[in-house]
Amino acid sequence: MPRFLQGLRAFGGLTLLLASQPAWSTSPAALPALRAESCSVRGLMDQLREGLRSNSKAYRDYLNAVLREAAVSLPSGELHAAFDRETDPAMVEQLAAALVARSEREAEKDAIQAVARRALEDRDPSVRAATVRAMRRTGALEKTGDMYERLMRDGSPEVRMEAAQNLIEDNQYVYSAHHGPATDLAVNAATASTDPKVTARILESLDTRKMGPEAGQKLLGMLGHESADVRRSAALALGSVPAAQMGPAREALVGMYRGERDAGVRKALVQGIAELGFADAVPELRKLRSVDPAMAPEIDAWIRALESGVQEWGLLLREKQRLQQVR
Amino acid sequence: MDSSNPTQTPGSGPSRGRGVPWGLAGAGLVAVLTAVGLVWRGGDDAQAPSATAAPVKASRSQGSHAGGGGTGAAPAGVEEAEAAERRFSDQTCFPELGRFNDGVTLETFREQAAPLLASKDALVRDYLKAKLAELIGDDAGKAGQVVDWARDAQGAEFQVLLSGLRASDAVQKPQVAARLLEAGMDAKLSIERRAGMLSALDTQKHLPPAAMDRMADFARDPASTEAGWAATRTLGRVMARESENHGDASPYLDRLITIATDAPDEQIRHLAQTAPLHNSPVLDAKATERFTRILQSEGNEDGRDAAAQVLAMSSDKEQVLKLFTDSFQREQSVCVRWALFRFSARVAGREALPVMANMATVDPRFQPLYRVFETLYAQGNVDFIRVWNELPDQNPFGCMDRHQ
Repeated sequence: MPRFLQGLRAFGGLTLLLASQPAWSTSPAALPALRAESCSVRGLMDQLREGLRSNSKAYRDYLNAVLREAAVSLPSGELHAAFDRETDPAMVEQLAAALVARSEREAEKDAIQAVARRALEDRDPSVRAATVRAMRRTGALEKTGDMYERLMRDGSPEVRMEAAQNLIEDNQYVYSAHHGPATDLAVNAATASTDPKVTARILESLDTRKMGPEAGQKLLGMLGHESADVRRSAALALGSVPAAQMGPAREALVGMYRGERDAGVRKALVQGIAELGFADAVPELRKLRSVDPAMAPEIDAWIRALESGVQEWGLLLREKQRLQQVR
Repeated sequence: MDSSNPTQTPGSGPSRGRGVPWGLAGAGLVAVLTAVGLVWRGGDDAQAPSATAAPVKASRSQGSHAGGGGTGAAPAGVEEAEAAERRFSDQTCFPELGRFNDGVTLETFREQAAPLLASKDALVRDYLKAKLAELIGDDAGKAGQVVDWARDAQGAEFQVLLSGLRASDAVQKPQVAARLLEAGMDAKLSIERRAGMLSALDTQKHLPPAAMDRMADFARDPASTEAGWAATRTLGRVMARESENHGDASPYLDRLITIATDAPDEQIRHLAQTAPLHNSPVLDAKATERFTRILQSEGNEDGRDAAAQVLAMSSDKEQVLKLFTDSFQREQSVCVRWALFRFSARVAGREALPVMANMATVDPRFQPLYRVFETLYAQGNVDFIRVWNELPDQNPFGCMDRHQ
């Protein structure tokens, strides 16, 4: 089972659909809540409009789940019409998620295109942001062409940030960083963005182990960015590049360290160098130690962690944190 | 298969091991525990219970990914939609569930939830669990009431009560956790019920030492069967949470190693042996020595396999490489040999290559594998997980399929 498929568990509950329909008609309707019926677009909209204001998270979560589950068998025309008509961002988000669910479950492959259109074209930025959220942790980025690059140029910072969040979470949870094209798409969007906050947000946690060489070049280029935040995030992202790109990445990070003035960027450079070399990075880090005395404790902490010989990056990060706590 | 984890995923339930030592009880346990949402990896609320996730993944596997990107127009939606309606049966809606939600209290919960539960709707059942957790809140008295109900509730209601309790804030209060533990240790209750009670403790942030001891003693009791298994899993899950929160995992690890060594039941022992794979603790000298004994004396090869992986995190790398070298020579199972071979790389990365070369001399079946590792390290790979993920074949001896 490829890990990149696991993010799809957001649409859990399919087992229910495989079960046969229980015999409702024989149950006595002792309480109002027991009345069960086939889901309809209208009925669900009414229930959602009321329920999304409930202070019970359990109930709101239930309603979200029911709509996504029912989406595959709701009449397509009615659902699209309701989506087109709706202007309340919270409701738009629900209906968009239902359409995305239809796409994901292959009940209606192109349903997501209506959502993507609205994310790009609606006049209300809150609605655009809501439709973007509805595509989070799905396979949307494989089905929406250049949508994310275009969203990077959206006039609303909220929309840009929601789109960044999708790229982060899709890469992490849907693809587990194992799908190069998804990584490249995130890098391309990040470099296309003119909002340094958004660029940094995408890059700082991006696992680039499957990144292609072209995106890799773009990422190296971001080390020269005027924003320290962008340089910091690019240095972190370069720590995890594929083996073939490690050499140039290491050279770039080491070469940049001496000239860099920003402490946060320097910290990120050190981390990137550590990740690219593990124990082999120790001699290099020792050399860099004298450049800036203020960085010596940080470099020492890395050297100690790397010298522990731990062979997995996640565990090395933990080891460094642990050693710093102990001291 | 989880491609980022260089071992089989442990502890997904006793039924996956060879044979079920307590007969049909194993299957029942899986039913109880998964229904309560307590599969090992699903211990955190962020993760969906695997029971519902699996079919989704399956449906996706032959789906849109294989074709890659592209936004080209698909054939007209109408036929597709009609086909979909044939493929998917209807989700049921409860239009007045909002009234239940607004009106229900802890006092009326059992009575009012009963007809909803009888509907067997999975989403409604999940809702009832979450709603019950909200109704309990952080009130220890209410939580105690639910523990009392759980002593005689049946079937789906039992699962809802314990899931609600497990997810509530109040379950973190010492007096509530203590009542659950007492119920789990109560010999008057059935083993299945005790397993459920002990499993509901798995969301704890900490366990007091006395509770750990009781659970570990119980897991070593031949009569504990699936409840002992549940106690072991709870110890493992709380240990993993402590580690995540940068707490001290060693008191849990200590008890788990005791179970891993002494429990008469092979499946319980195995669960304890694999528990550290979830948090990869760095082993001190004592833990290294105790796990060494497991590697050398455990009769079940899965246990020796797990021990090799755990030992790779020992702080004494030289000693472990020597141990692996010696064990490889004596080991008869090719699967355990494969574990010793690949986890040598987890011990020391590229520095382990001479040890691995030596193993490949002892057993020539490992020569092509040695060349793969050598090449990957020569290419500049440093992270063991990434080396593992670059292997052209992660299962060269069919060891991952041996339980299927």
